[in-house]
Amino acid sequence: MSGVRVTATPVDPATVDMSCRFGQLTLKSPFLAASGCFAYGEQFAAFTDLRQLGGISTKGISPEPRHGNPLPRICETAAGMLNSIGLENVGVEVFVREKLPFLRDLGVSVWVNFFGVDFETYVDCARRLGAAPGVDALEMNISCPNIKKGGIEFGTVPEVAHRLTRACVEVTDAPIVVKLSPNAGDNVAMAQAVAEAGAHGVSLINTITGMAIDVRSRRPRIATTYGGLSGPAIKPIALRMVHQVAKALPDLPISGIGGVYTGEDALEFLMAGARCVQVGTACFAEPGAIVRITDELRALLGELGFASVAAAVGCLEPIEPEPPYASTRDRGAAR
Amino acid sequence: MSAAQLSARVIDNRPLTGGYFVLTFEAERPSAIAETIPGQFAMVRGAWGRDLLNPRAFSVLHAADARRFSILAKVFGRGTARLQVVEPGAPVTVTAPLGRGFRPPARGKTQLLVAGGVGLPPLHLQARVAAQAGIAGAVELLYGGRTRADLVLLEDLAAWDVRVTLTTEDGSAGERGFVTAPLERRLDEARARGEDVEVLACGPTPMLRAVQKIGLSRQVPTYLCLEEVMACGFGVCLGCAVPVYGPKPYRYCCTDGPVFDAREVRWS
Repeated sequence: MSGVRVTATPVDPATVDMSCRFGQLTLKSPFLAASGCFAYGEQFAAFTDLRQLGGISTKGISPEPRHGNPLPRICETAAGMLNSIGLENVGVEVFVREKLPFLRDLGVSVWVNFFGVDFETYVDCARRLGAAPGVDALEMNISCPNIKKGGIEFGTVPEVAHRLTRACVEVTDAPIVVKLSPNAGDNVAMAQAVAEAGAHGVSLINTITGMAIDVRSRRPRIATTYGGLSGPAIKPIALRMVHQVAKALPDLPISGIGGVYTGEDALEFLMAGARCVQVGTACFAEPGAIVRITDELRALLGELGFASVAAAVGCLEPIEPEPPYASTRDRGAAR
Repeated sequence: MSAAQLSARVIDNRPLTGGYFVLTFEAERPSAIAETIPGQFAMVRGAWGRDLLNPRAFSVLHAADARRFSILAKVFGRGTARLQVVEPGAPVTVTAPLGRGFRPPARGKTQLLVAGGVGLPPLHLQARVAAQAGIAGAVELLYGGRTRADLVLLEDLAAWDVRVTLTTEDGSAGERGFVTAPLERRLDEARARGEDVEVLACGPTPMLRAVQKIGLSRQVPTYLCLEEVMACGFGVCLGCAVPVYGPKPYRYCCTDGPVFDAREVRWS
């Protein structure tokens, strides 16, 4: 059953079309650097050829600068890490003046990740960033586990996410991609709500709330007790969520994120229905990770007979019958 | 000088006393590693697949040329446990040299190098730099460990003719007690003689806090090489924040440090 291999004539990797369409956006490669793992890009210039990336999602930008959380902020866990940085960033004004020009000149898709502390600041941020030259998309973070006051219902209650998305869409011409929380109850409902509000697409997933304990000191390993889990440990969960949303909303572009470490990981996301893939935690360990993963994906696509990235998107074949739990909404309806 | 991500291989894994070991790597291509300033560090990770995802930060002990360099390590957690058993030929990914190091030794000024345990490498390298510049007399090493076995690489310092004062907590080598005792005496002596001195320190946090207090109370320029857990090492993850006095609450160990002016560091 699962041993059945699809036989396809290999394609010369050099001829594989690596370009990527994400709704109205065209990227020269399906790989973006994930928000929070690439700062504002400049630090990576010494280590890797940034022009080989499809795009960069910036560190989350808020209207005002933020200093971040107390220490310790990170700890390693099995096949991943927890972080609670606290959305530290330079704020809209400094970002647009000092960070954006560098990104704009790279010739890659620039996605500016942003957030507010309440409804009004989200809208203010979307309006100001959307008006800045060189912004290809706004990635709206409604899902960071590391912001305390309010906020949580933006990422968990579909009606609230809908209203917030609509309000932001109305103040900018830049496409808005909503980054969803894996901590929400029903991602299909969330995705549908933001799509109906005019979101251009969705990114999923953000980190999963987790914790780790130092048994000798009897203390949490990060100062805020809970933090966001990232890295290969979360990939199966991310894939499942991408697949659920892709099945339910096949026309909504999905940017898949979660523990991508190799080209094969990326191909799993494409097959599950993601149009592009973001690489996060791997960039810490290996600043040149995205270029390596891009090469690996190209070779793998060729080997498996895919002439293009697009041909692999959503090509997953079910082991029949399609499981009833493919969507949590279906499951709800069946009960 | 800019850092690079390097593919390298282990060419030597030399055990020392006290569980310490020196790993020497050879990178596939030349880089700025030979220009490492004492205190600068390397992020090192073996070919460990998806586990132990984050590289580990090590102060560079020595860079023999543009491709070969060494670190000093001791088993502390899972990453160092894996590194302790690597065989020559094992592949590693290294990003280096990173961070800002110590100011160079200079004729006419005495740098008191205060090392505690695994904090030796940047000070060992500073002593090497002084010796190579023909000014070994411009540095003095004050080196403390729990016991005699914790004091390593002393033969290098002897060969360079660097003045060394040792302390151990159990009295098995040098003076019994903490390294801060001879530091205080030496600073008092320097003041009495009107000698131009500064303090460069690296070691466990309790030692650094004590050195900070001693240096600042005597108004001696004091520089501390800190260690924090880092995921990246080059200013992206923001995990290695260091609380500081000043307009901003934090600076970053990786890009603003790891060497900080002792007047800046705000320990709670």
